[in-house]
Amino acid sequence: MTSLPGGRETAPGEGGRRTRDHARRSNTASPRRRGFGQGLPWLLMVPALVVLLLMTIFPAAYLLWASLHGGTLLGGNGQFVGLQNYVDVLTSVDRLKGFALILVFVVVAVSIQTALGLALAVPLSAQTRSSNIATTIALVPFAVTPVVSALVFRELFNPNYGWVGYFMGLVGLPDDIAWLSSTPLAWVLLIGIDVWQWTPFVALILMAGLKSVPQEPVEAAAIDGASGWQIFRYVKLPMILPFMAIAVVLRTIQAFKTFDSFKVLTNGGPGTSTEIINLEIYRVALQSFRIGAASAIAIVFLILLLTLVPLLLRAVGRGTDEEGV
Amino acid sequence: MATTATERPTTLRLAGRGLMWVWLLLGLFPLFFMVVTSLKPEGAARTRPVQWFFMPTLENYANVLSGGAGTSVGFDRLLFNSAAVTLGSTILTVAVALPAAYALSQPTFRARKRLSSWILSTYMFPPIVAVIPVFILAGQVGLIDTYPVLIVPYAAFNLPIAVWILRSTIQQIPYELQEAAMMDGASRFTVMRQIIWPLVVPAVATASILSAVLSWNEFLFSLSLTRAAAKTSPVGIQEFTGMFGTQWGSLTAGGTLIVAPILVLTLILRRRIVSGLTFGAVK
Amino acid sequence: MSTKQTTPRHRRDLFIASATAVASVALVACTPSVEGGGTGDGADAEAPEKLNVLYATAEANAAAVQAILPQFEAATGIELVLDTQPYDALQQRVFAEFASNSTFYDIVIVDTPWAPALVDRLEPLGEYLEDESLNDLADADIGDYIPKVLYDTAVYDAGNPVARFPDTAAPGDVGAIKGEGFDVYGLPLQANALVMAYRKDLFEDPAQQAAYREQYGTDLKVPATLEEYAQVARFFTQPDKNLYGTTVMAGVGDWATDDFKSLLAAYGGNGTLVGDELSLDFNSPEGVEALTYYRDLIASGAVPPGSTSASWDEAAASFGGGLTAMTMNYHQVQLDEGVDGEIGFAPVPQGVTSGPHFGTWMLSLNANGQNKAWAYRAAAWLTASDQQLAMTENQLHPSRTSVYDEVSGENAEEGPTTEFYDVLGQSLAQGQGRARLTNYMEVSQAIAVAVNRAASGVVEPAEALAEAERNVRTLLEQAGYEVPASS
Repeated sequence: MTSLPGGRETAPGEGGRRTRDHARRSNTASPRRRGFGQGLPWLLMVPALVVLLLMTIFPAAYLLWASLHGGTLLGGNGQFVGLQNYVDVLTSVDRLKGFALILVFVVVAVSIQTALGLALAVPLSAQTRSSNIATTIALVPFAVTPVVSALVFRELFNPNYGWVGYFMGLVGLPDDIAWLSSTPLAWVLLIGIDVWQWTPFVALILMAGLKSVPQEPVEAAAIDGASGWQIFRYVKLPMILPFMAIAVVLRTIQAFKTFDSFKVLTNGGPGTSTEIINLEIYRVALQSFRIGAASAIAIVFLILLLTLVPLLLRAVGRGTDEEGV
Repeated sequence: MATTATERPTTLRLAGRGLMWVWLLLGLFPLFFMVVTSLKPEGAARTRPVQWFFMPTLENYANVLSGGAGTSVGFDRLLFNSAAVTLGSTILTVAVALPAAYALSQPTFRARKRLSSWILSTYMFPPIVAVIPVFILAGQVGLIDTYPVLIVPYAAFNLPIAVWILRSTIQQIPYELQEAAMMDGASRFTVMRQIIWPLVVPAVATASILSAVLSWNEFLFSLSLTRAAAKTSPVGIQEFTGMFGTQWGSLTAGGTLIVAPILVLTLILRRRIVSGLTFGAVK
Repeated sequence: MSTKQTTPRHRRDLFIASATAVASVALVACTPSVEGGGTGDGADAEAPEKLNVLYATAEANAAAVQAILPQFEAATGIELVLDTQPYDALQQRVFAEFASNSTFYDIVIVDTPWAPALVDRLEPLGEYLEDESLNDLADADIGDYIPKVLYDTAVYDAGNPVARFPDTAAPGDVGAIKGEGFDVYGLPLQANALVMAYRKDLFEDPAQQAAYREQYGTDLKVPATLEEYAQVARFFTQPDKNLYGTTVMAGVGDWATDDFKSLLAAYGGNGTLVGDELSLDFNSPEGVEALTYYRDLIASGAVPPGSTSASWDEAAASFGGGLTAMTMNYHQVQLDEGVDGEIGFAPVPQGVTSGPHFGTWMLSLNANGQNKAWAYRAAAWLTASDQQLAMTENQLHPSRTSVYDEVSGENAEEGPTTEFYDVLGQSLAQGQGRARLTNYMEVSQAIAVAVNRAASGVVEPAEALAEAERNVRTLLEQAGYEVPASS
């Protein structure tokens, strides 16, 4: 009613300082509707904000407060101890090792998943009859409950009764390897279970990327005599980099949250060689109930993870939001 | 099949395909072990050499479901709790994410960029960190061992991804369409219901299944915040290992019961998952 | 420019959103909770309809308790509602209940390592024990408990929980306990001690006996000393026949500490690990000897593969599956279906002395509970001699001398169960409990790491224990203890 015909095409002055895209979409909004446009979206945001504040801002604030106090669960709120809990975390070799171990785990596991995921994505993206079945099978480990897979892997690799040892014996390999008793082998198993579970996740993202690569540049390169490998390396790979970024960043964040497999398979052993910080937080908070100390570890962990946020925003944000974030 | 330049079978490609199948089939091996062992009668399960020939039995399943395997809560109850919590948190996730995603996709909404970024950034909040205050607060207000104490956190964990998927879908709906409708006198809600909703249904399915998988499989919060009444199956299955040794039959039967429903759902909705995993990167 | 314009509104709206969220949290948090206490005291208190009991699962034999509950209801008209939880969940539940001053549970089961932290939240039972009118339903008679079990489990000085009652051999007496400034904080039930189980059929096999005599020149018998134990374990070990001597629980966790502290006591050290004056006794010549023995036993190959990542679970599974000739466990272990054999029980082999690890559960009253008089009557009934005897039908581990006299005395019929109870009763009388530390679980974890590292051959026992001493010292100091410098 109040809009002018064709008003959408005329950019008002304010459009210039918005992004191009934004201006194109929104320039017809009348002052009245724009006012309405701020109130309603906020209203629609309220439920999501409540849930997220309850589960992120509130916990973070509580942890920050608790980390400055010496409390245990039973000892009321404890006394104000200043930064003592942080000093304890940052001067403890075991705690620092816990942080280092989760970092190493994430880097190694995600690297392997990305490499393997890429190798799987290429055949998966081929338009053959079997690739549909392959996609379905690939998805299976993704849905398996992590604590179940950890328990099943533990039994599979049991040196005395496990099927893995049995099959290794059949082909002449040692049949009684105590996987969880050796530091390198325990890590192989922990990373292996993560790779088993999550490689399909990466592969499916990259498969979608490969399928979205347009035919023209590929055919042009083929006509120019490029080999299959060259086409993949110089034409397709650059085009799926945004997909790879999404996969790597999401997996990195998820991998930092790993808990179930370590709790079930090694409980931190042998020695403290797989005692990732996640297990330590659990132990201090929910077995010793030293809430102040646990909160300090948690806050340090949170700060470490906060450095990942820009990466996440850039990877996922760029891939999905043409306005940029 | 048209053999274009890109699909000529080369040695490399054949090798790739072969390796893919090896990996995929090897990937099924743990589940194969689980299902086979769950069907074995007591005494045939944990042996070396492995017994391949046995009389399949559903005894383990009956035991586990009825709580006859010596656990504090029967698996029938645990699976019910898992289903209730999964359903609750999935509905909550979508119900909360959908309006938020709509708001964030409105170009006239000035705070949309910062809010979108913030919501996405909450994805990195680790559960092991969140569980401490939730454990204490829930303990003080008597919410321990109730469904909400799991439903709300699970919804919060799923929200960033759900909002992102839904938002990028709504953004792909030309804004002009909404504007045109509103100019014709349609209210915001009519626009939402008649224009946005039909186009966003597939994305809702994607967000739902991703959120259901996480909620069904979650372990840490359930371990710390439930006891008996709201305990979910991933925590219950732990009871089959303990001081008296691991009961392979019960463990694998329980595992199969946990994995089966969510796996079937995942496979049914696999196209939605595959498209959703790209988070809108494919236009 | 646009940012400048939008920021105030942005902030205001964000503020409103946060305020809403905070308000909703505050509302929930302020919901008034009913404060308990006081109302239910005295013998004449009106009987409640039901009493809520927080209990463990198989660890404390919930099935045995469940089986006798109907009798309580028949006798009193009060329903005992048993809420059972596996270990980790139970511990979290117990601590959360007390932290929130909850009134829900009337009776709570408490495991020994938690007690030092919890003791000031538990109802002292001294006055209840002395009040005859409260012992009408069943007499809690604490003089009948195996003294060690009573003092280690339930007798604390709430002002100084690390302290122990001086005379742990004297039969329990409320007057004496209170006279020393202590009180009783629970009634022990399900008394666990490490007990050796062995394959009777293998030990009695003439072929094995002949082979043993040929090899060692002595008769094959159930080992009574650590030396014999290692030798017999090596003798039975035949990996090609899938048979090993015994099990250890050397994986990282409380179980490795339990194995170690039993050996530490056997070598004459302080089996509780840390002394009453916070001396870090586990790092001692005896500790090094014990850990060296443990390491050598494992290195000799007499335990199945995977023993350095094993816990209760793997140890019980190995023995149950017929993989080992001996094992150690709290429970009357069984062989799997399909494994032929007979089981015998014997005390854990000794060194210069004996002090098998032991730990007992106790039923305590929630100090915030609303029906404490009836809760006491119920706890007294559940732990009384007659009820414990009835529960041995379901493998309960009794805590009373009079019950052991029945189940393993001269009149008991012969069989593995009688043998098990006989050994359990002896072991409890000699057992060594745990240090009374509010953060025992963390200390135990640090020691378990050392045991595991030494057992795996990664570091020498002495070095592992020295490392553990440093870690334990830090942990204790962080928990607010003043640890004396090492001598």
